[in-house]
Amino acid sequence: MSIETMVREFAAVAADPKGQLKKYKEAGYKCIGVLPYYAPEELVHAAGMVPLGMWGSNKKTISKAKEYCATFYCTIAQLDLEMLLDGTCDLLDGVITPAICDTLRPMTQNIRVAMEGKLPTIFLAHPQYRRPEFGLEFCRAQYTHVKTELEKIRGSAITDDELRESIKVYNRSRAARRAFVKLASEHCDVIDPLMRSAVLKSAFFMRKEEHTEKLEALNAELKALPAAKWTGVKIVTSGIVVDSPALLKVLKDNKVAIAADDVAHESRGIRVDADETGDPMAALCKQFAEQDYDVLLYDEESSQNRRGEFVAKLVKDSGAQGLVLFMQQFCDPEEMEYPYLKKALDKHKIPFIKLGVDQQMRDFGQASTAIQAFVDVLAMQ
Amino acid sequence: MSVYTMGIDVGSTASKCVIMRDGEEIVGKSLVAVGTGTSGPQRAIEGVLADANMAREDMDFVLATGYGRNSLEGLADMQMSELSCHARGATFLFPAVRTVIDIGGQDVKVIEIENGMMKNFVMNDKCAAGTGRFLDVMARVLEVNTHDLGDLGDRSTREVGISSTCTVFAESEVISQLAMGTDKCDIIAGIHRSVAARVVGLCHRVGVRDQVVMTGGVAQNHGIVRALQDQLQHDIHTSPLTQYNGALGAALFAFQKANKA
Repeated sequence: MSIETMVREFAAVAADPKGQLKKYKEAGYKCIGVLPYYAPEELVHAAGMVPLGMWGSNKKTISKAKEYCATFYCTIAQLDLEMLLDGTCDLLDGVITPAICDTLRPMTQNIRVAMEGKLPTIFLAHPQYRRPEFGLEFCRAQYTHVKTELEKIRGSAITDDELRESIKVYNRSRAARRAFVKLASEHCDVIDPLMRSAVLKSAFFMRKEEHTEKLEALNAELKALPAAKWTGVKIVTSGIVVDSPALLKVLKDNKVAIAADDVAHESRGIRVDADETGDPMAALCKQFAEQDYDVLLYDEESSQNRRGEFVAKLVKDSGAQGLVLFMQQFCDPEEMEYPYLKKALDKHKIPFIKLGVDQQMRDFGQASTAIQAFVDVLAMQ
Repeated sequence: MSVYTMGIDVGSTASKCVIMRDGEEIVGKSLVAVGTGTSGPQRAIEGVLADANMAREDMDFVLATGYGRNSLEGLADMQMSELSCHARGATFLFPAVRTVIDIGGQDVKVIEIENGMMKNFVMNDKCAAGTGRFLDVMARVLEVNTHDLGDLGDRSTREVGISSTCTVFAESEVISQLAMGTDKCDIIAGIHRSVAARVVGLCHRVGVRDQVVMTGGVAQNHGIVRALQDQLQHDIHTSPLTQYNGALGAALFAFQKANKA
């Protein structure tokens, strides 16, 4: 199968999550919606169900969700609620609602109230102090709650062996995605930003075994290609979600390749694997504890600007010439962290631009101008 | 034999064209007060050709810029972002320029120039605050012509604060001031300070270095220019060609392209 055909299959999945939900339901699977961020999908998988990521939508308009949300909720959260209210997610058997940011925290309760009697909602609060023993204990209590609720939906207990197997499946998926991110940069003449996004996004709407098998095949084809002769520029993308086809097309049209990403929807969530042996619940808690360099995660050593330095290093190590920050409108964590990111990028003399985005954007004229001008700046340097 | 190049700047509220000879001399210019999506670009092209007494076929290279730059397929040989063109145009007019402030119809750009090249830039967000559109809305509420805002602001005798640069909220504020009987000239001067405050915030994100040049249609409003000077504490240079600056830069880049072709 050609690379183009393989990517087209991923793109078809990425563009039709509702169709995927219907497909899995018809195949007899129970399906669980999973809101951002860091929900232990392995538990859903171990229960024999299909987790489907809910990261908003580029196609819908917020209407019904306005009844529950203040204007300053980010569009990702509002559009998730919209999809729960407008029938898009009617076939789901449950939804996991993490409470890791100041928008998602009240949103967990909005969803609980809105879905009462219609859909089981599973609350998940991650520990702020995730590394000390008490943080790990808190995390375990929360993950146990998620597990118990999933077991109710399943009708039987999830065994440790099942969970260990699921961890292996997820570790393999993460490894394949990390490898793809690297290969997509090395072969950016073949994998453009739209294709890259489609491949990574589709992982949220496919059973991981299925996605990994296809992705490993794609990776093998990419590995066999000769080195790219790239005449455009390379950047690192940063932000929560960068999946708008119209926006990604602007990058493609301006010959901008993505060397690496610091995007929550893409690489931030696949950096850390879980131990495949021993107590699987402890392994999942330890995996969360080891997550790092994310605006959503508390950093006890924040005065050292470790995250800013991490992102600056990512730009340098990936061979990118600059960074484009896609700032989600009303995303407090990203906005509050921005001065520190800027400080690190300035310190390392890394050119960057910040583009304000939201998932209801339909006009990309200004973003297009900024990206084209940024390419000019990079080319002149 | 001379090389003739045309720069077309299709903005959100106006279309501007410049024809240059050998990248040195402006031989024609035109401005139509409607922008992208209208007959403005076509009329501006016809206007500049008439002004220079030339035909499209006489052009060695045509380069489009501005918000509607992608809408000129078949008319232009290539397109570039208006930031690059404004940087280039400003460098032509003011060789010592280091900072360009361009306030256009619907956005604000601050460009850092080093050795005649764009080194860094910032743009406003999607919000129209502090742009030409903002001034148009305020002029409408005040029942005055946008072009008269500068002169009217000069007559202000009392400082009135317009605290918000959000177009919607500021409109409410202006209406409240009018309802209280505040003099229009005082309100206009307050609006100028309010726009300047917003733009100064953007300027500081890039860093302000002399010489500071202001381009774009809003640079014709001397009330805004003065308010910006006061708040930035830097002299601001403008040119009678300020509205043509993007098209001028495009014509200069077109000359570069024509010579490479």
